[in-house]
Amino acid sequence: MMTPRLARGLSRTLQYGLLCLFFAFVAMPMAVIVVFSFDANRFPSIPWGGFSLVWHEAAWADPMIREAFVNSIWVGLGTAVLSTAIGFAAAYLDFRHRFFGKRLFVFAVAIPPAVPTTILGMAMLAFVSRIGLSGRLETIVACHVAVASSFAMALIRLRLGEFGRDLEPAAWNLGASPWAGLRFVVLPFCRPALIAAFFLSAAVSFDEYMIAWFVGGVHETLPVRILNQLQGQVNPKINAIGAGVLAISLALVFLARRFTNLRPEPMHGPEPRGDSA
Amino acid sequence: MPPASPKPPIPDAFRPSASIYSGSPAAVPVALGLPVMAWQAVFFLAPLVFLVVITFWQVRSFRLEPAFVLDNWTRILWSTPFHRALGHTLQVAATTTVLALLLALPLAYTIAFRLSARVRDLAVSLLVVPVFSSYMLRIYAWQVVLGADGIANAVLGAIGIPKLQLLGGAFSLQVGLLTLTLPVAVLILVFAMVGVDRTLIEAAENLGCRRAQVIARVLIPSIRPAIVLAGTTTFLLAFGDYIGPLFMTGSKPPTLSILLVDTVKSGSQWPRASVVGVSMLVILVLVFALGRLAGSVRIRRRSP
Repeated sequence: MMTPRLARGLSRTLQYGLLCLFFAFVAMPMAVIVVFSFDANRFPSIPWGGFSLVWHEAAWADPMIREAFVNSIWVGLGTAVLSTAIGFAAAYLDFRHRFFGKRLFVFAVAIPPAVPTTILGMAMLAFVSRIGLSGRLETIVACHVAVASSFAMALIRLRLGEFGRDLEPAAWNLGASPWAGLRFVVLPFCRPALIAAFFLSAAVSFDEYMIAWFVGGVHETLPVRILNQLQGQVNPKINAIGAGVLAISLALVFLARRFTNLRPEPMHGPEPRGDSA
Repeated sequence: MPPASPKPPIPDAFRPSASIYSGSPAAVPVALGLPVMAWQAVFFLAPLVFLVVITFWQVRSFRLEPAFVLDNWTRILWSTPFHRALGHTLQVAATTTVLALLLALPLAYTIAFRLSARVRDLAVSLLVVPVFSSYMLRIYAWQVVLGADGIANAVLGAIGIPKLQLLGGAFSLQVGLLTLTLPVAVLILVFAMVGVDRTLIEAAENLGCRRAQVIARVLIPSIRPAIVLAGTTTFLLAFGDYIGPLFMTGSKPPTLSILLVDTVKSGSQWPRASVVGVSMLVILVLVFALGRLAGSVRIRRRSP
């Protein structure tokens, strides 16, 4: 017979065990890429062939990879700047004003990430090639902004939710113009969210491959270069490029997290105590 | 600044000249709203509308020409490859959704109710990272792990288990799709579970409910919208994914996404590829509508 105490202990061990397995599952692919990027062997396999930087050097020396890297940086920067600006405008509009069709407006800004990028990429390709814009880096930026600005808006809107609704009217009453209120009251308050939105949109753009693949034409971003290499022969440089890409993504997402207070908050009552019950 | 509504009883000095909502002139919302609207109209809405439009166009001597023909629709919707891909994609996405929910619920419960606030924040951070960093690379890494001479087989071989064919089937496909969907599903559920009113749970406990009863009668009902959101998001991601099926099963059998990309890349059959894309969108809209229905029924009954 199992005592209730034993049953509780067993259930808790199972829960923590499952959680550890889950985090191993999440971390393993990333760890594999990083570990094998330093492997002297040509193909990733066990046992490890010894530490080597040869594939990192080879990847860095490859002109196509370098070009893709530079393209990715420009696309990411352009997307980050524009998405943050547009996302802020949309978030502020939603926060401050009431107008006809507001719900539709918020929905329209929020929905792009919900459309699979396979479909969106195909649709964007068909459309931009019709208006003569396909195959340009600027077009990749424009299309990435349509998706990334949703994330920017969500982050900034969350921050505005903590902003006193009457602070700005107070500034107006004291004689500030609406633009001055925006510039000296709202923008400084939103600064952390703006920075977070900048890094997050850069991260979204830096990892997006379908849209960039469809509309970029001959201009490859880094993920597109990886995709094209993966579809060709096995290439030992992949791990090294992958490790670099992961490092940049992780840095961008960590920076974005650093500037947001995005944490789950309990509604009422005391926190559950991990070890009670 | 324009004066507010002219109601005589309030002396001017006490009357706010700016209301909380629209104290600034109408030019401000227009100036702020126009760029967003214009951008989304040109680079999001227009492409999707155009996608629907070109399903009726035709290709003549490799050139896309405006027309109004139903030929593309009938050819795709009545074709066997489309039916196979549709059935396969629906089945795969549904399987991922069920698996993701079955795994995410206990995981989110542990994170939300067992971990201290600090460790929980760390866990959430660790889950946000994979959501925004390269899925394609992680799929490639799974190929390395699950391949015939991969790490998994090397480890299994060391403990005396003969080589398994892990790559190229339903198992590896689910590993790939769960890599994409599970962190998102867990995050959604963690936020919902932490947000549940603690007093409700305490009340249930004070009334003598066992933990299982609290979960079944209080927790699950109060996060039902989040469960539906996690499920529909998982379905959406798995249904539209291209990379997972491409590398984990080698496109055998093809999914709708693979059918779409192949049709685009194999020549100028954009109208037919668009039919596939529009059909996928219709299915996703239906799934979301069903989800909304499932998520809202109970709530409406509760608040008359």
